[in-house]
Amino acid sequence: MPSPTDDETPFPRLSHAASLNSLDRSHLSPHDAFMYPLRQPFDGDGAADPLSHLRHLKDDRSRSRRRKRAWRKLMWVKQSYPDNYTDQATFLENLQRNPRLKPYDFWPLVADSTVILQHVCSVILFIVCFVGIFQERVSPVSLVSGSSFATFLGWILWERWVSEEQDKEDDPAAGGPAASATKTESIRRRARAASIRRPMTAPRAIPVSSSRSTSETSSSRPSAGSSTVNIKVQIPENEQLRVTSLASTSSTTSPTSPTSPLSPRTAPQHGADGQPMLRRANSDVMPDFALPSETNRLHQRLGTIKSAILIYCTLLGLSPILKSLTQSTSSDSIWAMSLWLLAINIFFFDYSGGVGAKFPASLSTNAALMASTVLASRLPSTKQVFCLTLFSIEVFGLFPVFRRYVQHRSFRQHVILTVLLILGAGWGVGVVIAEPKPVCWPWKRGIGGMAVAVMIAAIATGGCSWWLIGLQRYKNEIRGPWDPARPIIMSRPRWDDR
Amino acid sequence: MARKTYNIAMVSDFFFPQPGGVESHIYQLSSKLIDRGHKVIIITHAHDDRKGVRYLNNGLKVYHVPFLVIYRQATFPTVFSFFPILRNICIRERIEIVHGHGSLSSLCHEGILHARTMGLRTVFTDHSLFGFADAASILTNKLLKFILSDVDHSICVSHTCKENTVLRASLDPLMVSVIPNAVVGENFRPRDYPAPSEQGGGFRAEPSPRLLGPDDMITIVVISRLFYNKGTDLLTAAIPRILENHPNTRFIIAGSGPKAIDLEQMIETNVLQDRVEMLGPIRHEDVRDVMTRGHIYLHPSLTEAFGTVIVEAASCGLYVVCTQVGGIPEVLPSHMTTFAKPEEDDIVAATGKAITAMRAGKIRTEKFHDEVKKMYSWSNVAMRTERVYDGICGTISEEEFYGFDTSGYNNGSRIRDFALIDRLKRYYGCGIWAGKLFCLCVVVDYLFFLFLEWWFPRENIDICPDWPRKPPAKDKAQDSMKIAMSRSTSSVRGPKLDR
Repeated sequence: MPSPTDDETPFPRLSHAASLNSLDRSHLSPHDAFMYPLRQPFDGDGAADPLSHLRHLKDDRSRSRRRKRAWRKLMWVKQSYPDNYTDQATFLENLQRNPRLKPYDFWPLVADSTVILQHVCSVILFIVCFVGIFQERVSPVSLVSGSSFATFLGWILWERWVSEEQDKEDDPAAGGPAASATKTESIRRRARAASIRRPMTAPRAIPVSSSRSTSETSSSRPSAGSSTVNIKVQIPENEQLRVTSLASTSSTTSPTSPTSPLSPRTAPQHGADGQPMLRRANSDVMPDFALPSETNRLHQRLGTIKSAILIYCTLLGLSPILKSLTQSTSSDSIWAMSLWLLAINIFFFDYSGGVGAKFPASLSTNAALMASTVLASRLPSTKQVFCLTLFSIEVFGLFPVFRRYVQHRSFRQHVILTVLLILGAGWGVGVVIAEPKPVCWPWKRGIGGMAVAVMIAAIATGGCSWWLIGLQRYKNEIRGPWDPARPIIMSRPRWDDR
Repeated sequence: MARKTYNIAMVSDFFFPQPGGVESHIYQLSSKLIDRGHKVIIITHAHDDRKGVRYLNNGLKVYHVPFLVIYRQATFPTVFSFFPILRNICIRERIEIVHGHGSLSSLCHEGILHARTMGLRTVFTDHSLFGFADAASILTNKLLKFILSDVDHSICVSHTCKENTVLRASLDPLMVSVIPNAVVGENFRPRDYPAPSEQGGGFRAEPSPRLLGPDDMITIVVISRLFYNKGTDLLTAAIPRILENHPNTRFIIAGSGPKAIDLEQMIETNVLQDRVEMLGPIRHEDVRDVMTRGHIYLHPSLTEAFGTVIVEAASCGLYVVCTQVGGIPEVLPSHMTTFAKPEEDDIVAATGKAITAMRAGKIRTEKFHDEVKKMYSWSNVAMRTERVYDGICGTISEEEFYGFDTSGYNNGSRIRDFALIDRLKRYYGCGIWAGKLFCLCVVVDYLFFLFLEWWFPRENIDICPDWPRKPPAKDKAQDSMKIAMSRSTSSVRGPKLDR
């Protein structure tokens, strides 16, 4: 309880005993916080236990403060200590250092860094191909037809993997809980809205609600308290409906008119590759949702092929324009600019993106496409320009998606792909550096390039990983009660989960 | 023994007419220090409609210095440009102590630096908490280290704030005092509390408890700027659940900010228009009127150095539900508050507990006002601040002020002397590169000072006549005046406040 107003009480003096005890610099200062050695395995020498020092302090303290009322870390209470008293038991007791430090292991770190290696190698391959076309050592048509064929193969593979994955998810036992949890939550919230509203606005017409929420209100009529229970009972049938159209994960399933202005369904839907999937039309036309997944996938494929043809034709039309785009700019500027743009591409690429990332790192992709555009404008013929641009779309736009999926599926394939890319890039560089002689295929230089590339890759990934682990020693993150708390919010607002 | 009085200059970017906690802290503290017989002036930057010298109540003089304002009322950090005018003011007003406020105010930092060069004592009050992670914090912390490595004493508003400041600026913990904020009790009376004039000096009956029936409406008040770090997201998520669990409750939300749109969307989605009332920005004078409409005050902030608003709420007789962050756990006793973790579920649960307890009549909110009035008063704050001034000026001995522990950082006295070489030593320890840079700044500052002494000699600056000082009263005599004083002060707190 608060003591009477303390305007008149004299200020207490610092305790002699407490201060004399600390003559031997046992004073807990902020430097103690900074100077504790990290207690991490890589610290090696197992430096002196900082806690023993603290324990020693604590003993001193309990002896020295027997006479007085204990100091408390409160401001509303009248303390018998001066304002600048520093209680050594509680001062900085909530300080945390490196609370979320995860020490890295060497091999997992190397394995993770291969993602970067892959991307750098594919950029090098692109440059090599450009140089090949520029020096007219590679026929652009053969290059682009080869890469298009590879892209087509990759697409078919990707399609197969996606459908396999979907089949796995469609298995009701496997895919149920996670999906239905969010579902339950959103339904529950809607039911809550209804139940809160009911006592207040029951007689009135509900002005803003969609037909869906009214139907749910009526379905959960019995009582406000049991409404959530009712909804939960309904979920299985909802769920069954939903499973059939799982491809459209975000479309809701209640059998109501989809034309309501508030319905989230009216937003256009995009598939994993960012193309409109005609799904909205489906759901509008077939409200019973008994759409077989095969038909759905066929539609998807048709859509993809359609957009591929569209891009192809557009590029064909644009190529003459691209060819003369930067004629007034000197080549030197172009080389410098494309170097910068490709560097931007490498540095801003989304290496952490999972399979589901829809539009990964637009800055990076745009920079790469711009680089390819300005490079293409150096080429003399329309055919070359077209081929290079198409090739760049394949390398920078589609190949990362494929790589992500490979990494997601199996580590072995990922490693094989990495090795192939390194070898390819090394070979390409080795060949391109050589003087363009029309003698024969430069095997020797190619193999030399491969060897050098493998060596550089090994040194770079290993060395950088080792360096990063070494740098962890200097990590000193301070956390305490002064940091803004991170709020934990269970239910995202409904306008987020459409 | 006659108490020594001082001439004090409060320097900060943050002062009226803009609203805020630092602003009213400076004003109230200055006013109470004047009551105790000191002379106080305030130096701040000029606003569009306020330039030059102004007088506020109680003979408080405010210098509005012309400076460029760049961001959120903080002036552009020019290291030396403030010196000539500061020197002029300090000589004119015969200042002995320069007291800076607010770690984001560059005027305050410059003022402290130049004051040390001129050989004045300096005090710094920190009102806010900073992290250590992001780039802005790192920069601010380095700057703070620069300024505070030579300051005579620092004041923090809570113990958490003290820990934070000590870590940020690598200070000696004994050179940092904790002096809380306070509230003007008369401005935050409960609804049916008798006004101080009617109260007289006589006996007043114990207020009867407010009893709530099971069906009475319980009103939960939220007054805060609607920003992320005030926890508006938590509020948005918690309100529908609280209202669902407890019929006969309603919310009143005052304040504006970028998160207001989320709240409005939440109200629309859940159709809560008649149970959640959003008032928008309100003036600081109206805070009390809004608070007294409610029973419970909900404060979901994510970081807070002191949280004056929860003291104000308790003073208005509201039960407080707040998140356990920053300095908040130190502010109010447990019978006035329920703490929650900054999690949606916990806030819902804590508010539910508070509502149940209110309905059960377990909380004697009618006593809160008198209790809070005893805990926090500006005269107490002024008295404790005065002790800091006594300590740095040597009025009370170093042993008494700092104790007998002389094994501090500087191997010796904690009283900072003004010799340039000693100052340079302190600055040099700030960092490998920063230390040298700071030393350079200080040397240039000193040369600038010598130049000013030659260019504008001290003799040519007029000395400003003082107001007649109040007698350095023997503390108790003030009490009768206090009420009248604080009521007159409330009339100047005019600016619009959207908290």
